[in-house]
Amino acid sequence: MISRLFGFFTVIFGVLVLTFLLIHLVPGDPVEVMLGESASMADREALREQLGLNQPLITQFGTYLNKLAHGDLGQSIHTKTPITELFKTRYPASVQLALLSMLIGLLVGVPLGVYAALKAGRWQDVVVTVVSVRLSAMPVFWLGPILMLVFAVWLGWLPVSGMDEPAAIILPALTLGFGLSAILTRMTRTSLLEVLNEDFIRTARAKGLSERAVIVRHALRAALLPIVTIVGLQMGSLLAGTVITETIFSWDGIGRLLVESIEKRDYPVTQACVLAVALSYVVINFLTDIAYRLVDPRMRHA
Amino acid sequence: MKLTPFIVALGLLLLAGCEEQLPDTAIHFAIAQAPINLDPRYATDAASERVNRLIYQRLVEFDAASKPTPSLATWQKLSPTHYRFTLRNHVAAFHHGNPLTAADVKATYDSLLVLNDAPHAAEYRNINHIELINAQTLDFALTQPDADFPARLIIGILPKDLIEQKHDFAHQPVGNGVFAFVSWQRRLTLKRLRDHQLVTLTEVKDPTVRVLKLMRGETDLLQGDLPPELVQYLQTKSEVQVKTAKGTNFSYLGLNMQNPVLKQLNVRKAIAHAIDRDAIIKQVMVNDTRLAEVILPPEHYAGNASLPHAEYNPALAKQLLQSAGITLPLKLVYKTSTDAQRVRLATILQAQMAKAGIDLEIRSLDWGTFFAEVKQGNFQLYGLTWVGIRTPEIYSKVFGSQFMPPNGLNRGRYQDATLDALLQAENWPAVTARIHTQLPYIPLWYEGQVAVMQKNIQQYSPQSDGNWDNLASVQRSATKGQLQ
Repeated sequence: MISRLFGFFTVIFGVLVLTFLLIHLVPGDPVEVMLGESASMADREALREQLGLNQPLITQFGTYLNKLAHGDLGQSIHTKTPITELFKTRYPASVQLALLSMLIGLLVGVPLGVYAALKAGRWQDVVVTVVSVRLSAMPVFWLGPILMLVFAVWLGWLPVSGMDEPAAIILPALTLGFGLSAILTRMTRTSLLEVLNEDFIRTARAKGLSERAVIVRHALRAALLPIVTIVGLQMGSLLAGTVITETIFSWDGIGRLLVESIEKRDYPVTQACVLAVALSYVVINFLTDIAYRLVDPRMRHA
Repeated sequence: MKLTPFIVALGLLLLAGCEEQLPDTAIHFAIAQAPINLDPRYATDAASERVNRLIYQRLVEFDAASKPTPSLATWQKLSPTHYRFTLRNHVAAFHHGNPLTAADVKATYDSLLVLNDAPHAAEYRNINHIELINAQTLDFALTQPDADFPARLIIGILPKDLIEQKHDFAHQPVGNGVFAFVSWQRRLTLKRLRDHQLVTLTEVKDPTVRVLKLMRGETDLLQGDLPPELVQYLQTKSEVQVKTAKGTNFSYLGLNMQNPVLKQLNVRKAIAHAIDRDAIIKQVMVNDTRLAEVILPPEHYAGNASLPHAEYNPALAKQLLQSAGITLPLKLVYKTSTDAQRVRLATILQAQMAKAGIDLEIRSLDWGTFFAEVKQGNFQLYGLTWVGIRTPEIYSKVFGSQFMPPNGLNRGRYQDATLDALLQAENWPAVTARIHTQLPYIPLWYEGQVAVMQKNIQQYSPQSDGNWDNLASVQRSATKGQLQ
């Protein structure tokens, strides 16, 4: 546990240092963005001083860490909005979208993967494989507008984009979920096919268990480990914000906020977003480890 | 079995999407970029400035020839450094009920003079002091003579009492314009005071999605930032109206005049002759886009309608390059943003210039990096557009020797004593002719403006600089076109 905590803080500190350095190395700074090109040198220097940007980098970083330790993420340089206020709406939006996308991915991907594995080598397997490969090859900037055209414009069932109605989450979630389901289908099929050839499956069948019980209780459980890994990795990516999907669907999540802050050189917002993303990854990794132990008893003592 | 609750939840979400919507009388406007800051002292982005024109009023406006005309106030030039402004009778009160007086004008500009993080503050550093004469009149005393001073007074007027209270104008604006602020969560909602018509502005970055929202009826109005193929598509739809207008926003290629190759006039002329602007305008620009020769359009009082167009002639371009002693192909780097239309234009320029022996390498950079590189002079060629330029001092700021960054906008580091003298004399025909001959910029076009709206939206058309002033008159009629 102690080594895990040490690893956690090391990762977070590394992320903080790297983000801080990288954002300051990129050309352009917030003063230029805020004052434009007509401002005098005196005005620029005055604003740099006000924002603390005239301090040595190490001093700026120390100030940032000190504030962070006191729970102060700072405020947006451009809009003056406290970052905690921004996060109150942006982060839950990303979490909602991530969870629903993952749910769709799992509901579609795992059953299809099981089905393909059970029909391995037959035409049903070929169809599932072709569909999943096609789905995984579809970029979200193409799939998103197609789903909008069909479900919003032609059928009129769902809103095109935005966050005004509860149903507005469905299309972005489907856009992300379809891609995930394709990956999960392939992973489930491969993993299950390996397990289905194991001796313990033959034993289970020999004991007279029903095929459903063999698949669900024995084979699928044993095949879950790589699926859990994929789910963990994908969930981390989803929580990090899915910039293109959020942009297309006008979904005010953390990914859009991060990209917009980088464009505007809004250092405090960028740093806070990257910190949130890093924390998400660390937490998801931790949860994935727990899931491993639940799925595979051998790992509880590892 | 355990999946059932999830499936039920998903079904409920789907059903929620099928709910009957309540009647909505607001006019919905989908915009490419949301405003950032609605305090006119801080607003620099186009969306904020366009919204602020609706919420606030200014002392001065501009006529069709871009000459300053009275808006809230008339003025007298008492001396080269002394201007008197008198508020007109019956100006509208502020939205919080207080009347607008000269004290509010003074408070607005005084506050600008003490802010060190306001981008517009530099424009007013020449103000020595502001003196209140009476409730209707105030005097501006300048440090240096400035013939264009009235044209600078375009900051929306804020109420003095709220300035003193350090009110958050950025997020809760209070002005005396035709629209009052209502709310700003995910969308900005404004109320037209005349008839209480609500107008919402929602950011939808992707142009395809904006068009789909129009087709679905989720939005009533779009303006600008649409690729030409989408405009052409919409023009085939009888259910929507597409209106275009001549624009004044000037697109150009910037050149680094400190580069030993680009320093040579014949190389710059060759680049101008290597670009088939007519073909680009015809094929990939919206209607009403027109050729440009200098920053200000011909109808501007400091424009120049008599300048000849550089013809597309790749053979001549090659000859000019060879006469400059260039070994072909001439390798040049063109920097642009990641905007899809900009990148598309870059690839067209690349193909056209190849025929003239110019090997153009495209570097597409995120906006922050791109703009920083341009300002630092770290480029050979770049493409940008000047938006909303009104006063001829732009020529000085962009081409004057004393205006090189960080002191001004002369990003190409152009030095020309002849031009400096002409700028000093404010001889605009000669200035524009000199710039056109020396080509420190390669002029491209004034981009046409386009607005697309539902059939039932009336009394709206795009403005030449892309502003949204016509929201003051827009109406929704009773019948609505049905889209298929």
